[in-house]
Amino acid sequence: MHNSILIVDDEAGIRNMLLDYLETKYDVSTAADAETALALCDRKNFDLVISDVNMPGMKGPDLLSKIKKMHPKTCTVLITAYNVDDYIRLARKSNVSNIIPKTSPFNFSELDSLLFGLLTKNIFGLKRYMLPQYTHLGEFCIRSSHDAKEVREACVDLLLNKLGVAGDMRLLVDEIVTNAIYHAPSFPDGTEKYEEFTDVNLEPHEYVYLECGFDPEKYGLTVVDNMGRLTKDTVLYKIERQMSGEGVLDDSGRGLHMSRLFSDRMIINIEPKIKTEVILINYFSHKYRGYKPLYINEL
Amino acid sequence: MFPILLTVLLFIVLVVCVGFAVLFFVARKDALFFKRSLSMKNQRHDTVITDKITLSKKQLETAFDAITDFICALDEKLVITRVNKNYSQFVQIPIPKLLGQHCYEVFWKRSTPCDHCPALMTFANSKPVYKRTFKMPGKDRPMFFTVASYPVFGNDGKTTNVIEHIRDSTEEKAILEQLIRSEKLASIGTMTAGIAHEMINPLSGISGTAANMLQMPDKYGLNEKGVSRVTTILESASRASAIVKDLLHLSRKEEGTSMLIDINSILLKAIDSVQLKGFPLIEHKINTDSTIGRVLCDPIKIEQIIINLLTNAIQSILEKKAACSREGKQFSGLVLISTQSEDGHVRIDIMDNGTGVPDAIKDKIFDPFFTTRPPGEGTGLGLSICQKIVDEHNGRIFFESAENFTTFSVLLPFHAVQEDAGNA
Repeated sequence: MHNSILIVDDEAGIRNMLLDYLETKYDVSTAADAETALALCDRKNFDLVISDVNMPGMKGPDLLSKIKKMHPKTCTVLITAYNVDDYIRLARKSNVSNIIPKTSPFNFSELDSLLFGLLTKNIFGLKRYMLPQYTHLGEFCIRSSHDAKEVREACVDLLLNKLGVAGDMRLLVDEIVTNAIYHAPSFPDGTEKYEEFTDVNLEPHEYVYLECGFDPEKYGLTVVDNMGRLTKDTVLYKIERQMSGEGVLDDSGRGLHMSRLFSDRMIINIEPKIKTEVILINYFSHKYRGYKPLYINEL
Repeated sequence: MFPILLTVLLFIVLVVCVGFAVLFFVARKDALFFKRSLSMKNQRHDTVITDKITLSKKQLETAFDAITDFICALDEKLVITRVNKNYSQFVQIPIPKLLGQHCYEVFWKRSTPCDHCPALMTFANSKPVYKRTFKMPGKDRPMFFTVASYPVFGNDGKTTNVIEHIRDSTEEKAILEQLIRSEKLASIGTMTAGIAHEMINPLSGISGTAANMLQMPDKYGLNEKGVSRVTTILESASRASAIVKDLLHLSRKEEGTSMLIDINSILLKAIDSVQLKGFPLIEHKINTDSTIGRVLCDPIKIEQIIINLLTNAIQSILEKKAACSREGKQFSGLVLISTQSEDGHVRIDIMDNGTGVPDAIKDKIFDPFFTTRPPGEGTGLGLSICQKIVDEHNGRIFFESAENFTTFSVLLPFHAVQEDAGNA
């Protein structure tokens, strides 16, 4: 049976575009405003609802909050023509962590991987976010602070040697890996296990895993830790804090903020207490003109 | 008896006459003396007054000449009777030759008085005329003058002369126009941001639907011709989106993305991300000052500036290359990119030996939508975006286009932030 999706947007062009594309894979309904959408949700339990942010009458975030209350298992996604960054606070408030920008041309393959992940709860792995022609370049494991630098560099060099570009990956991977080594491992009471910039040898069950690869339109790198200490709320809070300028001079959330700023896509996947993944993706060309999306998946 | 009497009488008459004569002589002498002394006194007084008048005249003349504006006195036929130094310097005719000439001939280069001549109005109604603006074609741009005239009254209370005061207000007008333009731009900017966002919605729908149609032509009953037309729609929508994106860059005031960062690293990254056909074939030299340290700035925006400037430089070289090859001349392009520290600022220079910026468009290149490129190639917003970003950083952007080289320079202030704070 197909998953059911509800599309809510007052812009007919967008509604029809999403309908045409998604109805080949899903059971799709549409609504032009929040009131109609709520009436539809009364009768049916949708697996996923995509809603525009700015609509006449009730706005997208309020609509999604209401639907979440009616059907807690429904996945929710916001879509907007405005700057996604402006809605991060709102997203946190209404418990939505995926916002798609309306780019031109629309990025359908990205929509595919997002919806698939949300609906199947199969969110982890760089390959999941790449085109079918994905080429896996290499994978690495970090076991101590001592070998972190070498491994990081090897991973970025692999990209550079193969593709000739790596954007700001060297800088960003440094930040993300440092976070993973020092901030992910914790004691059962939740306090951090290791002090930053000390020599750390991770225990056998603690590891940081790196993978990189590319497809015809983009390349990416992923950093996974098997601790899963990060939460969706923390990520949103930290990004928002850095974005508002509040955190300019300290480093809390700087890694996440910079990663979002300096890469074309940052996808964060979280399975609480099990696994955290930060995926960084750069496009070879700036084909999809528009704002950056917000992708945080928490199981 | 009678003759004696007559003689005595004559004698008396004589004595009386002599007496009178003496009296008269003495009196006259006295009067003359008095008069002379009076006149001497007056003369002394006159000299003092004359001196005072001369001094005052000199003072007035000096003041007249010291005024940087142009001042002249005119009679009712608009003939110049007095004129100050600056007037003579401006019209490049010595003062003696100016006197007796018509003002409209020497100053305004006309054969008849100007329309709405303030001096003629003052002669007609004996009232001053304030601040009339007159335009005159200049060497490279029109000049503007603010003219005022004041009546000089004769003893009969009639206007005998008019003092005309002319001020060159070309600069003032230019500044005023710039102000009005930036005011207008600011309001256009606010409006544009709203429009641009509203445009993204339909554009995304148009291009997305067009993409769907190309992906699944059968679903839409599309034949080959339909596919080709929809391809055009998709391309047009993408071009429109590019313009909208640039407009948003221009009108949006984004905040809070500042961080301490090494300008050189931004520079190198920007150079890497310039994707223009022909760029790899152009010789480019990078000369960075590694001691400039970190600057508090918005790295993405600074990168944008460098990409924009570099793109312009490359395109201008490619244009020159094309022009030279049409004429069968040899030309090899060169781009020099450098950073240095200068008076508390980081200075980024991007120099090219391309087509350069002609004098005629020097004032316009930072204007939104000003472009020298054919439609479809560039939106004409590149430099205005640069200007806006530099303004946001309290910096300065300027350029110099001489003989064969054009250099665009960006000055960004080092921010007074503790270097360690961002390093924690």
